[in-house]
Order: sequence, then structure tokens, then C-alpha cells
Amino acid sequence: MYGYSGKILDIDLTAGRMKERPVEQDWAREYLSGLGFNARLLYEEIPAGADPLGPENILVFNVGVLVGTTVPTASRTEASALSPATGLFGTANSGNFWGSELKFAGFDGVVIRGKAAAPVYVWICDGQATILPADHLWGRDAWETVRRIRRELGDGAIQVAAIGQAGENLVRFASVENGPFDAWARTGLGAVMGSKNLKAVAVRGRGAVRVAHRKEFLQAVDDTRKAIFSSPFYGPFSRFGTMLATLPYQEFGALPGRNYRLGAIENWVETRSRKVLPRYSNRGVACVACPIACAHWVEIKEGPYAGLRLKDMEVTPVIGFGAGCDINNLPAVAMVTETCQRLGLDMVSAAAVVAFAMELYEKGLIGEKDLGFPLNWGDERATISLLDMIAHRRGLGDVLAEGVRKAAEHFPGASKYAVEVKGLECFLLDPRARWSTWTLGYITSVRGGDHLRTRNPVENLRYNENPVPYLTEKFGFSEEMYERLDMPDELKKEIFDPVTRDVNIPKMSRWAEDLIAVYNALGMCIRPPVLHTVGPTLFARLYASLTGIDITPAEVIRAGERIWNLQKLFNLRHGEKPGDADYPSRFYEEPVRAGPAAGRRLDREKVREVLREYYLARGWDPDTGLPGAAKLAELNLQSYTHQRS
Amino acid sequence: MARELAVNPGRCTGCCTCALTCAITHQGEFKLTGAFISIARDEFEGTFTITFSSLCRGCKKCALACPSGALRVVDVEEMAEQEG
Repeated sequence: MYGYSGKILDIDLTAGRMKERPVEQDWAREYLSGLGFNARLLYEEIPAGADPLGPENILVFNVGVLVGTTVPTASRTEASALSPATGLFGTANSGNFWGSELKFAGFDGVVIRGKAAAPVYVWICDGQATILPADHLWGRDAWETVRRIRRELGDGAIQVAAIGQAGENLVRFASVENGPFDAWARTGLGAVMGSKNLKAVAVRGRGAVRVAHRKEFLQAVDDTRKAIFSSPFYGPFSRFGTMLATLPYQEFGALPGRNYRLGAIENWVETRSRKVLPRYSNRGVACVACPIACAHWVEIKEGPYAGLRLKDMEVTPVIGFGAGCDINNLPAVAMVTETCQRLGLDMVSAAAVVAFAMELYEKGLIGEKDLGFPLNWGDERATISLLDMIAHRRGLGDVLAEGVRKAAEHFPGASKYAVEVKGLECFLLDPRARWSTWTLGYITSVRGGDHLRTRNPVENLRYNENPVPYLTEKFGFSEEMYERLDMPDELKKEIFDPVTRDVNIPKMSRWAEDLIAVYNALGMCIRPPVLHTVGPTLFARLYASLTGIDITPAEVIRAGERIWNLQKLFNLRHGEKPGDADYPSRFYEEPVRAGPAAGRRLDREKVREVLREYYLARGWDPDTGLPGAAKLAELNLQSYTHQRS
Repeated sequence: MARELAVNPGRCTGCCTCALTCAITHQGEFKLTGAFISIARDEFEGTFTITFSSLCRGCKKCALACPSGALRVVDVEEMAEQEG
């Protein structure tokens, strides 16, 4: 095959056997690769009632088909399993070099099933795979694991997906680390790896990705590059990465300060925003084939954390720990970031769990005697100690390792402090202060409270306006930007107001989810300069010229819709109920306390109305959110069902 | 005017677009091993070392593809002026 390696490696850890399965051409066209293959595999292989931490769960990695080429930002691999955090479709996406290395090793994906009798790691190299003992790695953190595997296999270019202690101890928000600094973080996939006694998957390949129509492909790559470079977000993103969002969130009063109570924080701009980033970092580090290099190399040269060196000063830990836990300086946030990377913890959920515990401490629901130390807002040393207790399930850490939803059951009256949707912590932007496509995604996302699968490709961070409350958000860009947006004209007319260009949030949510499903299936990155400029037309050209499989832009976006619907069917089979698509009670019952959005809270009826509009836009039943027979037939999913079987 | 390849390793972000471009140009397929330019990435140090193999034909396609400014095609006179 062209583009694809053509094989998926299937490893049964119980039997200690492996086989190769071919990538079927029909699968390729309908599900593309990456997330699409994962959705299909999980749906077909994981029965209702399966235990996320049992051997019947499978963990699947599939690389986007564009990865391994010069398509800008094509670096991404999707990892999926039944989630120990939500009990639903668990999935996470990561870049770096692991995916390209797997393709060069001759595989598009890896399926891992069963459970090894003792700790092991998998070594995949140039078409061969071996299961090796990992007793000597068990108990070690992810950084050390990466270093040791590279050393013992004698090659510094080996890419390693590894768990830290959190995954070993089945922490429900454990990540799979991708090298030392990146991760498949959300939905607890690290615990699935831990439950299988699998410490790491190491890959190295010296093979190649072949191209079907070279001239057309390179022209499509060049056009994609030009499109990304033309985005007004390109320069700022190269310079500041995701830290760009730190200023507008404070301006809108939409920070999750002190567990979603303070929307704005005093001294935020001077202590934790992108304005202070240049003090600690002056250069970017890229994933394979990425011209943006949004991640930053950070060196702390003075103060208590002098000597600390790591990749990443990202909005996620800065807002999660910096605002959520009110840790008031970037070096301390960097230290907490390193702790999460080493222990193998999802930083979004970890920050939410620590903030939840800090609020319990403030309210007197837990005390120093429970922890062994005080747990005051802003205390990074206490944060690090607590994260260590969680990763090792020591003391109260054992309760918190279950995530905020389950942990809240242990403390009477604590559920109102648990900020999660479907069991997954949502911890970045406050929907009370900024209502948008992004924040509606917290409740529509198939993976639970999450901000990365429903993003308006033309989100405008200069404005915080809803011209029609709950229904629209301001567009605010030039007419040229509107014209250039790669979206079918008839859909543009439905989503954007013909005069003001205001964006219909529920309709844009549906488009954004389908589009991002395509990104996660093809392996490109959803950073704004890309999401903004690269849509179905370029995707179709890239895909068809790389693989030789003809596809139209309409078929590309239809594949995204198919993938989204299949994940939804998986969720319904595993027990998702219509009422699960709802915000935590705090957003309805408590107003934001401080900042420009002080006094605001969500209106339950309005949220229900907009959710209904979203279901209608999806072609689902407006009351129950169930995909109907007509929609499933349209997507060639007629033989699929949401019934429990 | 003579045009040369200018290398500024300090600007390299490690994306390896140069090596992938080299491979597709000279070997007709994408790969990182076997290209005439290679980037050794020291991930824990955040440093990148650029090496050209003796097979490099000096086509400069890598520099045209480099997004970070680590590899650039420059006029020799211009370079001399900057250095001079």
C-alpha cells in the first residue's frame, strides 16, 4: 500500500503471541486511519460489561496515515481503550516521534490485548516485535524508563511510550507518556497499560513511507504549508505556543481559579501569563514535520527550582495548576509539570483532583491528619507530595486516584466541588464566563469533560460575546477569513449569520467535532494555525495523492462524522445515558466569584435548549441524543447498534 | 550570484522536515534513516545536531523546506557582508 504501512500488529500478552493483520482498503476509505481505526476496533472487540482494567479490554495505538511524510504537523497517533475514568470510549492523541517511528518500523498500528503474567515491555523494530521482561523497570518513573530502554537497546533514537508509577498503580487518570515530555494523557489509558503489566512500547524503524502520486502529493503539501503560514495565528503560536490563551482567559474572567471559583486572579499577567514566558524559554521544540514548534524548551536558572530543564510550558499545566490550584509562579508550575511527566499523570485531571482536594481542605472536609501536611492553595510542595501519594495510592492518595467523581463519594457533601462530566475532569476554561463552541464541547464530547474535540476553527479570542445568548458566538474576523474557510458553502450559510457572520454554536460544534475526528484520524495537529486553514479539500488532496485511494472532500468529512457516531454508539453500548451530557452542578448553582464574569452562572434550561439544537444538527433524536436509523444508514453504519449486547 | 547553504544549529527545532525532504527528493520515499542530512535529537537536553553525509549533493532542498531558519539558502556576498 501507499501511505499506509499496510499492517497492524496484534499482541496477545496473555498468550505471549503476536500476529499481523492487514489494513483493508475498505477500512481505509471509511475510517482513514488513527482514531478511525481505533473506533472500529474498539466497537468490534470490547463487549458491553467489560472491565476497563480487565484483560478483556484492548489498548490500541493507530498512527495517522499522513505521518512520516512532510505534511506539516503530521505527527500524531491516537491511543484508545475502554476508559477506566469514564467507562466509555477512552482516547487520547499525541505527537512527537513515536508514530513516525512505528510507521518506519512497518506498522500502522498496534493492538494490545490480554495481560502479561509479569511486567513486560514490547520492543518493535523493523517489522519484528519482541516481548521483553520489565521487572527492572517496574516502579520507575517514565523519564527513567525512557532513558533505560534507550540505553539497554543501545539506540538513543528509540521512541518509547511508557507508564510511570501512576499507570502501574491503576490511577484512573494515569497517562501513557510519549517520550519524557509528551503524553496520551486523557481518559486513564496509562491505567489500562498498567492493568496489562505492560510498562512500555518501544519502537524503532529504518523503513520508509511510499507515495502513490509524488508530484501531486508534494504540491498538496506545499499548498498546506502555505495555508498554515497564511494564518494570523501562525507567528504568535510559533512564539508563545498555547500560552497565548493565558491572557484572554484572565481578561474574560474565565480561569478555573481555585477550583472554578475565581475567574480572574490578581497578578496573573505578571506571574503566570505568556508575558513572563520569555524569562524561562526562548526557543521552540517541534514534533516531527511541524513548522510551528509550539512546545517550549524551559530552563529555570535561579530560585528554588534552578537547574530544572524540560520541554513544555503549556497552557494546560499553567491554567490547571497555576489557576486551579493557584500556584503563583511559572518555575513552580514547571516543577509540578515534571512531577506529572515522571509519575505519568494526565495534567488536566491531576490539577482538577489537587484543586478539589485543596477545596476539601479549605472547607475542613479533610485535614492535616489525613494528609500528613497542610494543603493550602498555591502550595506547590504540598501539590507534589499529594501527586506522589496519588501515583502510589498511599493514604488519601488511594481515594483521590479514583478521580474527582468517585473520590467525592467518600466525603459527604463533596460532590458539588467535583468538576467533571461523565467522570472526566474538565479543567481549563469556565463556561459561565465564556460560553462558546469550545465549552459546549465539555458536554458533547464522546470522551467526557474535555476541551480538545470540539473547537471552533475560527474561534476568536479577542471577543467574548454571545449576540444570541447561548446560541451564537461572535465571529469577529475579516470577510476574507470567512471566504477562505474550507467548509461547504451550504453549510457556511447555516453556521454563519448572513449579515453579522455570528457563529451558530450547536451547528459549529457538530462541524468541529467531525473535522477534528478527521484530524485525529489522519494524524494532523489541531493547533489553531492548522485547524483554521486546513479542511476537507486539502485533506482529500493529501490523502488521495499519498495513498492512491480516491476520496472527495465530502467523503473526508463524512468519514469524520462516521467516526464520531461510532464512538457515540460505543458509549451508548457501555452505558452512557442522555442525562450524562450535563455540566457539573457548580456551573449552575454557584456564580463566578471574582473577575469580569463575577455573578454569572449557567441556566439549565438554556443549556438543554442548545443541546437539543446540537442533537438536531447531528441528525440525532433531539430529546435522547440517540443516533437514528436514517443517520446510521447515511453513514453506512446500519448494521451497528447502540444496544447493549 | 553564488548561493550557499547556511547552517545555524541553534535555531533548529528538531522537526526533521529537512531529512524527510531529502529522502523524498533523492530516494523517492519518506524516511529519516538514510537521508543525506540527519538530525540527532537529544530529547532530554532539548538539543539537535545537524549532520550532512558525504553523499549530500548540495541541492539545498532541505534548506528550502526548513521552517525554523536553521538551514537557509543565502547569497554568498550577502553572507560575507553580514559577517564582515
